[in-house]
Parts: sequence; C-alpha cells; structure tokens
Amino acid sequence: MSGESSSSEREERKICANGGCVQTETVEAKLDAGNIDEAESALREGLSLNSEEARALLGRLEYQRGNVESALGVFEGIDLQAAIQRLQQCSTEKLHKKGHKHSEPGLSGPQLGANLVLEAIYLKTKSLQKLNKIKDAAEECKRVLDAVEKIFPQGIPDAFVDTKLQETISRAVELLPLLWAEAGSYHEAISSYRRALLTHWNLDNDSCARIQTNFAAFLLYGGVEAVTPSTATQVDGTYNPKSNIEEAILLLMICMRKFSLGKAKWDPMVVEHLTFALSICGQTPVLAKQIEEVIPGVIHRTDLWKTLALCFSAIGHRKTALDLLKKALHKHEKPDDITSLLLAGKICSEESHFAAEGIEYAQRAVDCSKNKNEHLKGVCLRVLGLCYGKQASVSASDYERSRLQSEALKSLDEAITFEPENSDLVFEVALQYAMQRDLNNALRLAKQYIDTTGGSMLRGWRLLALILSAQQRFQEAEVVTDAALDETAKWDQGPLLRLKAKLRIAQSRHLDAIETYRHLLALIQAQKKSYGPLHSTHQVEDDRVNEHEVWQGLANLYSSLSRWKDAEICLGKARAIIECSSETLHTEGTIHQRRGEIDEALATYVNSLLIESTYVPSKICVGAIMSSRGLPMLPVARTLLSDALRLEPTNRMAWLHLGFVHKLDGRLSDAIDSFQAASMLEESDPIESFNSIL
Amino acid sequence: MSTQQNVSWSDSFSQAQSAIQSLSTILPSIPSHLSSSDTPSLALLTDPELATQVSDHLRQPDSGAGDNQLCRWLYDTFHTSKVDLQLVVLRFLPIIAGIYLSRIPLRKPLAGFEAVLLAIYAHETTARNGQAVTINLPDLSHPSIYHESRPQPHKSTSTELNLVIISPGLDPQGTIRSTKRARIIGVGLELYHSKIVDMPIQSKLDFCEFCIIWAGQDGEYYKNFPNDNHDEKGKEDEINNEKQEGRVLLPWEMLQPMLKILSHCLMGNYKSNNKNNELHEAACRACRSLYARALHDINPKAILAIGSLLKLINFRKTGVDPTELPLSNVIHL
Repeated sequence: MSGESSSSEREERKICANGGCVQTETVEAKLDAGNIDEAESALREGLSLNSEEARALLGRLEYQRGNVESALGVFEGIDLQAAIQRLQQCSTEKLHKKGHKHSEPGLSGPQLGANLVLEAIYLKTKSLQKLNKIKDAAEECKRVLDAVEKIFPQGIPDAFVDTKLQETISRAVELLPLLWAEAGSYHEAISSYRRALLTHWNLDNDSCARIQTNFAAFLLYGGVEAVTPSTATQVDGTYNPKSNIEEAILLLMICMRKFSLGKAKWDPMVVEHLTFALSICGQTPVLAKQIEEVIPGVIHRTDLWKTLALCFSAIGHRKTALDLLKKALHKHEKPDDITSLLLAGKICSEESHFAAEGIEYAQRAVDCSKNKNEHLKGVCLRVLGLCYGKQASVSASDYERSRLQSEALKSLDEAITFEPENSDLVFEVALQYAMQRDLNNALRLAKQYIDTTGGSMLRGWRLLALILSAQQRFQEAEVVTDAALDETAKWDQGPLLRLKAKLRIAQSRHLDAIETYRHLLALIQAQKKSYGPLHSTHQVEDDRVNEHEVWQGLANLYSSLSRWKDAEICLGKARAIIECSSETLHTEGTIHQRRGEIDEALATYVNSLLIESTYVPSKICVGAIMSSRGLPMLPVARTLLSDALRLEPTNRMAWLHLGFVHKLDGRLSDAIDSFQAASMLEESDPIESFNSIL
Repeated sequence: MSTQQNVSWSDSFSQAQSAIQSLSTILPSIPSHLSSSDTPSLALLTDPELATQVSDHLRQPDSGAGDNQLCRWLYDTFHTSKVDLQLVVLRFLPIIAGIYLSRIPLRKPLAGFEAVLLAIYAHETTARNGQAVTINLPDLSHPSIYHESRPQPHKSTSTELNLVIISPGLDPQGTIRSTKRARIIGVGLELYHSKIVDMPIQSKLDFCEFCIIWAGQDGEYYKNFPNDNHDEKGKEDEINNEKQEGRVLLPWEMLQPMLKILSHCLMGNYKSNNKNNELHEAACRACRSLYARALHDINPKAILAIGSLLKLINFRKTGVDPTELPLSNVIHL
C-alpha cells in the first residue's frame, strides 16, 4: 500500500470508504480554495458518507498535510457531543441485548462510528498541540477518554484489541498526561497517569511500559511531590510507594521485568532512569542486580561489565569490580577504555596486593590519555603515582622501595602540573612526601590543602598534625588538633581526640592525656546510646573511633605510669570487646616486662604473634628479649628484627634493637648504620602512622 | 475558617510589603510596580529586574560580610516563616552558596552568607525533626498496585523491604564548622529541590552556572556522549589551560542534591519555550562539566548517575513520538 518513491506517492494518495475511492487531489484543491463545504459534499457523494464521516476524513487529510489550522476548522464542524451520545446509547443497547461474547474482530457499524468520532477528537487534540494550545489540547484529549468511558461503561471489550479504535484510545491515554505536564498542570498530569495505569484500557505491553516510563520520569524529575496512590485496596504484604522516588523505582523495575520476560520492547531509557534513581539513593548493588537480569545481548557486554564494576566499586566491593573490569579490558574487548582503566587503577591503588597490577592499568591509562582524553592525563598520572606508592609500601627490598617511591613522587608531581586545582591530589602528594619523610614539602602541601578546602576535610587537619608531630613539634600539633576540634561537630571528634591524647603523652603530660582519653570514652558511650538502628547500618560512613583501640591506648598509658591496676582494668575492657587480640596481649606483655617478669612477657608476646604473625611490636619485643639472652640467641633476634623491618621499614624501635644485635655480634659498622637509622627516624616519626589517615 | 485565612493572608501581604520596603533601602532602585503589586511575595520571587539587582549585589566583592544589609534582609525575610517569602530567599540560594563556596579559600568575611545558610539549615532540621530521610526500596516480590496480577494475600516468601537512608539525620548547628559546610549547603539544596517547581527559571540558570564553576572542568568533550569516538576538530582551540577558578570539593552530601536539581533542569521542564530551552542547554553544559569532574574524581556513583543523565539527553533528541498517527497515503474510513 505504501508508496515506493516520492513520485508514485503523489499518484496513489486517495481516500477510501464503502468500497469506493476518491483521489485526494480534487478534494485538496477545494480545501485549498477554502471551500470546506464543497470538499465535504464531494466526499459524501463520491463515497456515500454522511456529513460527520466526510468531515472526519477531511480533517484527517488536512492533519496529514500539516494544515493543522484548517484541520481544526474542519473538526469544529462536527457535533462530537451528539455523536458520542448516539454511540453511547447504541453500545449500551447492544451490550444489553446480546451479552456480546463472540463478536468478530473487524469493526462493525457502531464501532466504526466510534472510531471515527474518537479519532476526530484525538486529531483535534494533536492539532491544538501543534498550534501550541496545550491546555486546550489537554482538555480535548481528556474528552476522548471521557467519551470512551461513556461509550464503554463496562470497559473496552477485549474484541477491540488490535483495532484502530484501540490504537486511538491508547494514543490518547499516553498523550493526556504529557499534555497536562506541558500545560503546567502537574496534578492533573499525575492523576491522568494514574488513570492511565490503574484503569482497564486494554493497553498493549509496549504502550503500558512507555506510560510507566513517562510517569517514572515525571516523578523523578518533575519536582512535584505526588500524593501516594489510594490505599483503599491495601492488602497485607503489598508494597505501597510512599514517595515519588519509591513509586518511580517501582514502575521502572516493573518495566525492566517486562523487558526481561520479553513482554515489551526494550527501551534503553528505562535502564538509564533506573540507574540515575538508584545511584542517587546509593543503591548501586540493587542496580547491579537489575542490570544482571537484562536479557543478554541488549546491553553490549563491555558496557555491562563496566556498569557493574562501577556499581560494585561504589560500595567498596573492590575484588568483584576489578574482576569485571579485567574482562572489559581484555585485549579482545575494549582494552583502551580510559574510564575502565582509571577505575581499575584506582581500585588497585587502594589495596596493596593489587598495586602491581594497578601500575600496569594506570600506565595504559596514561598511554590512552590523548586527543579527547587528554584532559584526563593528570588523573591517569595521579592513579599511577598512587599505585607506585602503594606498591612501595609492600616492597621487599630497600632498593625496590626507594625506586618505587621516587616513581610515585615523579608521577604525582607531574600530575599536579596538569591539575594544580585538584585539592585531592594536593593531599595525596603531601601524604606521599610525608611517608617518605620529606617533612618540609609535606608540611607546605598539607597547609595548602587546608587552605584550598577551607579546612572542610578532617583528613587535612590530621595530616598536618601528624607532620608536625613527626617534626617533634608536639605543641604546635596540639594547637592544630584543637583548631580542628573547633571545626568539627562533636560526633566526628573521635580521631582528633585520640590524636590529642597521644600528643599529650608525647609531651609527657600524662594526666592531661588521661583526661582526653576520658573525654573520648564519654563520646563513644554517647554515640553508642544515641545511634539508633538506622545509624548502625553500614550505610553511614562515619569516622567513629574504635572503642577497643581507646582502651588499649589508655592501658598503655597506665602501664607506662606503672599504674598496673588501672592498666589491667583497661585491658579487661578491651578484652570484653575483642577477646583475643595481638594488641591486648602485647600490652599485657609490656606490663610483665616492665615489672621484670621476662618469661611471662616472652610467653605473652609469642601468644600475640600466634594470633597475628605480622604484628610488628611483638616481633620487636621478642627480638629484643632474645638479643639479651646471649650469643646463641642473636641469630633468632636478628631474624625477627629484620622481619619486623621488612613489614615496617620505618620502625625506629626495630632499627634500634637491630643495632644492639649487630653490636653484640661484633658487626660495628652495621650497628652504626642501624643506630643512625633509628636516630634519624626518631626525629621524623609521626605520633600515629601516616597510613592511619587513609 | 475563612476569617482566619484572611488574617493570615493579610499578615503575609503586609510582611511582604514591608520586606519590599526594607529592600528598597538596600538596593539602588527597586522597580516601582513591586510595591503596588497585589501579590507582593510573588512579585519578589519572580520579578526579573529585581532578581538581577539582588544577584549583582550578592556578587559584589564584599557582599558576604556579617554587616551586609542584603544578607541581613535575606536572613530576616527567611525568618518571617511565611512560605512564600521563604521561597524568595531560596530563589537566591544557588548564588549565595556559589559565591560563598568560591570565596572560602580567599579568607574573606562571610558571616552574612553563613547566617542565611544556617537559617535555611535550621529550618529544615526543625521540619524534619532531625530525622533521616528514608525510603523503602521496592522489591517486585511484593505485589503492588502496578502489578499486572492483582495483589494476592500476603505471601510469606516475600523478603523484608530494604530500608534506605537517602539523607542522614540532622544535628542542630550554631555556626558553620568547616567540616559541616558541605552538609549545610547540601541540606539547603535539598530544600531548594523540594520547592523547585516554584523557582523561577533564572534561579535554575544560576544554579547551572555554579555547577560548572564548582566542577572546574571543561565538559565539552562529552557533547556526543556516549559515542565518544569522534574526535572533534576545532575543539583544540577551545581547550585552553586557563586556570579554573572556583573548583570546590564535591562530597556526596552536596553532589546528591545537586544532581537531583540538575536532573529536574534537564528533564523536568515540560513547557517548551525559549527560556526553558535556554535552561535545558545550560543544564546540559553543567551535566557535561560534572561528568568530566566525576571522571577526574573517579567517583563511581557520580559516573553512573551523571552518565545516565547524559545518555538520556541524547535519547530525547532522537525519540520517535508514539502519540503521532502514522502517515498513510490511503485514508480509510
């Protein structure tokens, strides 16, 4: 039926009815001359139609030709209300007479009439819409639906599915809420969406899914809080959305389900709306689940993996995210996708055993940061630097470590030339300098970080205080900590108070330190009480100080003051939280050692190492005790201390005791080196490890 | 009942009028039709000339100080507790927050801005009673009104609903502590978002402007997102290494409400006219900038959320209208 080319199209254009056809050209000529009546009579005579039918067809013709104003004029000449009333009587009579079970699919007389009338009103609606008379269009469109409800008070008979009539109804149902929204009548829009979705319109799955999507979008972006749908039919266990976002997510999930069951045609908008809604709520794992259920082939697999990786990395599931990215970055997939490379690098930079892999991803990202990705070069270098830094922290040899550290600094410094405004980067460079004990540069950058962020980041304050403590400027560090406390709400003060206590210990102000610890414990108790069940969920990322750690710190403090009983009480509290921990056992060991109970001390240290074989402080103490047990034990001591230094290359105590071992063994020059390292480190040791800020 | 309404109406009317009066002592020349308006609050909210004057004033170098008269006026106006006057203050929130944040590193006196921001925060804290905003995530194992099969009686197999915090609880804040700054502004933006249909377009345009400044990133590389394989020639000239002023940290507590507002600016405008199209364009630019920023921050949640907005922009461009009748050469009865 449709024309193959534009030239044949013109010839074939005609209007058909009652077995006859009329070429459109003759009618159009009359219309163009403004003779609607003549055009109408031409049709009536040519196709034996009544006036209404002829006008409806003329209107359609004009609408198709884009003459919407003329179409409107034609439609005005039809008494639609009268037609609707006639149809209404007709259909009720028919339904009452026959019961209407076995009707045939074709349109019979009254249905045909109904379609003609409804289509005419619908086209009137569309014409008004095109003339930008949106409100009138909406009123007119509503008339279509009201008419349908009048003509079919028991709902549209199923026999009408697949007819032109049904198509018109579906279009009107879909258009009405869009028109109300465009007219700015948001509440009418909402109620017409509900009317569309909760009334039996016989919509096919595709149009139903479209309306659901449109409604979801309206709820998400319209900015109007919809009143919750009626709860009159509330059944137990039913999900009843109470807010826009709940209702939107529900509708979108229903659409997704329809797609995966193959009931409706895939619409990529749905998954994007859902992605937005769920990411905004921080519910990326739910999103991942929805996306995983999409039938294969709809979303390109690399896009799928990438999206899933983003979903998982957003909640810190690094391993899962990394595995997905590995697939997406495989050489047969999209090995040059810079977003995936960056994300992979970033994930690796956060965990030491992925660091080596991360260097490779980041290097690939740097190589890809060309052309339109050039603006990402700074980020790529930054990730590279972070991976080098992470790798350095676990490297086995001194040589390797210093090589990696200098690579880290080189990359980060280069990154900062691209992104001098990036304050996160400034922080990372500062931290890198601090860890390499270039304290002056670290200090300068930490100050810069606090300035540019306006002191809004706790980690900036902590870094500055730690750097000052490493420079043995404890008093200034305490001033910084106090300033930070002023800028921090009570609930977030934990880490600062802990730092402050340690700074006071370092200044030998033990009683002040005890006071600060008490303060900290009170805060922890208050937090425990006030955080309701909502707060204890994993979603709240808070900086709460670990209570175990505080008791532990206080026990150490009492033990250093030889207040054994108090220390024991604190250890008891610590044990009540974690029954067996290396830290607690270690403190117990130091208490024994200080009291001269060396054998007990040794046994306790060993127990501590049995719980956690990499616990450095106990390793050092065992090493130190061994070194005091004569020549045969020296190799044991040396192994333990070297092992401790492999784990923590900047541990001052380990160097010190290693120095003693060398001295006892007669390796004087080694001893000198070790003592020198220890003394240098003493001058640059922060009060808490720099890593503790991360 | 009606007398009560009358009283509160005339109360609100006179408060709006006195607000206009006191504003006229601060601004150089208030449009004269404002004081004679029958709906003075609405006039304050929507008058474009007044808005220009206020924003010019807010953008002056020393505008945020504690003794600034306009800040004082905004603070007092918000404290009238009349909803329509509060809207007037919220209308300027994008500019206030924008200027405020970009001036933080400059160590300028900002107590005036802070007072306004705190007033808005305090209002929201009281309104919410400090409680977190939570939602129940839908789960299709629970029947709902939109399910095709009608709701069945309770099935014991269905899982517990997933309770999600979308905005954490609020503690009262007497001053703006620097570590709470982003949260206080974020809460203000949440309130702004809840009133967004009442906001004049210009206010939303201001918001989009600051999104770009805060992002501090050129987003024009993402014009064809997600089809990013075309290298646009000529773009090179535009890419300059000009120092971007005003880039700020964008923690989630701020970014989340920003994205909600931005999504409205992009897709919640159903009226199509010049001003709305201008807003759409501005929102697209803001979105691209923020996307670039999300990549720079390697922030997965933001990459997902903004990426989907960018894709939706492009889908909208290429959409087919399903409410249109198919054209046919032969018209049947």
